[in-house]
Amino acid sequence: MSENIKINVNGNQIESTPNKLLIEACEDSGIHIPRFCWHKRLDPVGMCRMCLVEIETPRGKMLVPSCTTEVTDEMVVDTESEVVKKAQEGVLEFLLINHPLDCPICDKAGECPLQDQTMAYGPGESRFVEEKRHFEKPISISEIILLDRERCILCARCTRFSDEISGDPLIEFIQRGNKTEVNTFPNEPFKSYFSGNTVQICPVGALTSTSYRFKARPWDLKSVRSTCNGCPVGCSTELNSSQNKMLRILGVDNDSVNQGWLCDKGRYNFEYLNSEFRLKNPLKKIDNELKETSVKEIYTELSELISDRNTNINFLIGTNSTNEDYVAFNEFAKNFPTTNQTFYLNDDYLYAGFFEQDINRATIDDLNNSEAIVIWAEDLKENLPVLYLRVRQAVKNGVKLIVFGHSNSTLEDIADFYYSEDIVSENFEIIKDISKLKGIKEHVKDKNVTAIIGKSTPYQLDEYLDKLVSYLVENSNSKIMNAFSSGNTFGAINNLDNVKNLRDFTKNVSSENTDLLFIVGSDPIGRSVFSNEIHRIIEDIDNVVCLDLFLHETSELCNYIIPTSSTLGEKEGTFTNIEFRTSRIDKLVPSPGQSLSDWEFISGLSNFCNFINNIDSLDGLNELAYQDFDNQDSPSFKNLDKPSNFDGIINDYQPNVSTMPNETITSQYFVGKKLYGDNITIRYSDSISLLGAKQFIEASESTIEKLNLSSGECTLKQNGHQVSANYVVNNKLADGVIFIPQNRRNFNRFDFSETIEISPNQSKEALNVN
Amino acid sequence: MSWNDSMIKQAKKIIKMYPQKRSAIGPLLHLAQSKDGYISDDSIAVISELVGITEVQVKSVSTFYSMYKQEPTGKYLLSVCKSISCEINNSKEIIDVVKDFTGLNNNETDENDLFTFEAVECIGACGGAPAMQINYETVEGLSSENTIKLCEWLKEEQPDVIIAEEMQDNFGGTKSFDWAIKDQSGTTGSVPGFQTFNTTKEKK
Repeated sequence: MSENIKINVNGNQIESTPNKLLIEACEDSGIHIPRFCWHKRLDPVGMCRMCLVEIETPRGKMLVPSCTTEVTDEMVVDTESEVVKKAQEGVLEFLLINHPLDCPICDKAGECPLQDQTMAYGPGESRFVEEKRHFEKPISISEIILLDRERCILCARCTRFSDEISGDPLIEFIQRGNKTEVNTFPNEPFKSYFSGNTVQICPVGALTSTSYRFKARPWDLKSVRSTCNGCPVGCSTELNSSQNKMLRILGVDNDSVNQGWLCDKGRYNFEYLNSEFRLKNPLKKIDNELKETSVKEIYTELSELISDRNTNINFLIGTNSTNEDYVAFNEFAKNFPTTNQTFYLNDDYLYAGFFEQDINRATIDDLNNSEAIVIWAEDLKENLPVLYLRVRQAVKNGVKLIVFGHSNSTLEDIADFYYSEDIVSENFEIIKDISKLKGIKEHVKDKNVTAIIGKSTPYQLDEYLDKLVSYLVENSNSKIMNAFSSGNTFGAINNLDNVKNLRDFTKNVSSENTDLLFIVGSDPIGRSVFSNEIHRIIEDIDNVVCLDLFLHETSELCNYIIPTSSTLGEKEGTFTNIEFRTSRIDKLVPSPGQSLSDWEFISGLSNFCNFINNIDSLDGLNELAYQDFDNQDSPSFKNLDKPSNFDGIINDYQPNVSTMPNETITSQYFVGKKLYGDNITIRYSDSISLLGAKQFIEASESTIEKLNLSSGECTLKQNGHQVSANYVVNNKLADGVIFIPQNRRNFNRFDFSETIEISPNQSKEALNVN
Repeated sequence: MSWNDSMIKQAKKIIKMYPQKRSAIGPLLHLAQSKDGYISDDSIAVISELVGITEVQVKSVSTFYSMYKQEPTGKYLLSVCKSISCEINNSKEIIDVVKDFTGLNNNETDENDLFTFEAVECIGACGGAPAMQINYETVEGLSSENTIKLCEWLKEEQPDVIIAEEMQDNFGGTKSFDWAIKDQSGTTGSVPGFQTFNTTKEKK
């Protein structure tokens, strides 16, 4: 590290690291320089000229934009001189020439940098009497984003974000001079998984989202910092509500995790909280019909059932609960010594191999600090979107990227070495000698490597992955991160003593060995590839208790249904992410009706059964979860609530996961997940519900020809089950490979390990006969 | 792809001339314009695929430069120069004459798609001012009468190919460099000086 340099700002000495931008150095020392276009995470452009400051040069004092000027030793800067003030007033007067004064109906008003800085630095009045320029207002540039071009001040934050950060530049400046506008290409909407970030960083109200538009005023919002539980990346979020309704989620800049960004699913998948279809009262099945009942009645019936402690109990646990909930279940299960106290996690991608080998765990920051990144997992952009952004950032910084997988992954465009068909077989096995591959020889062997390893499809055999992991462990200085893609998976495997996966559930659990089954916050029938088997098993079991937000394909089959609070904004707790970083989940809005947190329900049941109840408070559960840690670095509430720990604390738990190796079942299809699916929460989030509703399959042109498809639609058929779907031409897929997304409505009923008949749809004329 | 094989071949040749593919957008847009007379959305899609960037990025470049036409033009694009040399030599009158004859305002195309009129910045014919271009072929030393004759000729004859020399002979007046000192070596045509400084290269 080179030494700090000293600069003089407004007569005060401040220190800075060399090569820092002047605006950033001042910001770090508490001197605010107004700005519109400059953003900490984007490359500087000097578009808006708002950050002009005076510096002393050999030719006298000079106005320079502080966002494109690097600090130098002994630099003398004035940010408040008369000249600077005049420049700021001039810039603002120009910016306001074409900016409509529609603040009273603008969503940004109240938190608008243009409004605030006009107040603070503006001239106070305008000399512009001519007509302002007009555009149609607003136009929708995607299903979830609206653009008001009149309000745009051309700072290029959104266009730079989409180019530099997310890599899908679908919006750009069109025209020139005073005609310049931001727009998309005709019929090519801003279809990005990260488009919501542009709304957040827009310094005016030009970009708005359908979900928040006209819903509230910033000064009415209550807000709380939390962690997104949508996927194991665990982005830091700020939740906003007004009148007890969740209205908006913003990304918080957590340097080691999401750096301020969120994916659109994490940002907009919250409207279900206010859905009228939320369960409000406990339900009980009487004569095959669900009737409303009270929690007390359910407690009474259940306690009778389990009072002798010899009941065979099984748990099917979802990944949407907090760590404290998992601890509560774990403690509760200890009351039944005769059962094997196994928790089946609702994740068909989970496998144990990763935890059995002696590996060094990677953090997300390691991606930037290594010489190469090796990825063999689900498509990152679809499943761990913000991790994809971090990989992209590392690649931009010169880290080599080596990817294994079918040639369908979004990583293909940024990878230095992409090993597909020739090296990775249809069943996802590396069929060549790993050590002889060019990318591995040159960039992995004996180098510092960060690897992201996970199953590409539920049907991938464990041993294939183990082989790559052991190669990396033996031949390089590797750190490995496991890519499971659902929710608080890492919290579950940390806090539950014995975790198995869904495949094990279908093998081990039956009505013979289960008197009572708890299903917690999961819909395995609706979204897993073992849907049919699980359906059969659950139907057979006499007593099934379900804790969930909604009625869905799984909960409908249960005898008792308890409405629960959502982990998003309705309860407190902790969340553990992909790098075993634990951070706070906080509560902002009340949950509807008689909803309970998972732990509240289990604690109440313990009381009814007269068990020793050590799980009757959230703080108690939190202490239980982290009792093995040193007081100093345990992620307990006490520590996490210190401002220095808001970004979370990484812990070094050794989880106990033992899944059965998948040795037999394979699929001739490429089964995977897309970001938006037909999950119950997306279904009830109005602004994004349609994004996951389309039923489709993907294949290359020649494959489609072989299937004799022509009309754009096809029919999938298997054992009397039939779904009509679109097909999407994706020439990146190898010949003969058919991609089927598993998270689509009615696709779950297919058994992907068997053949599915794919035939052309009946033509429209034939359908119109009647 | 809406481009035929020979155009694609030409485009690939252009792309090869640049270290980065996207640097070829400019000449590729010219190629597109030479095909349709304007930059169509189809062409933009083809270019974006050829150089591997998104359509809107190509659109951004093509709308930045005013000489890439965004709309289809009529059969004859009448570009009358309005820059300083022509202005001094009465280009205003020429502009009015063309406007009157065609009934068009700046950047408009008539109903029959015959004429598009535009007043443009310098077309590099200051020596023969006032000047105009028909489909980018220059005619210099215009007078009002000759301009009307030229327009009438276009309207009546509707020639498929416009040739600068032919127009110059029939309707033009003083030409650039007619008055310049003759190039002694006789190697440079009407534009003395260019080749002696090696600023242009022989076509091969």
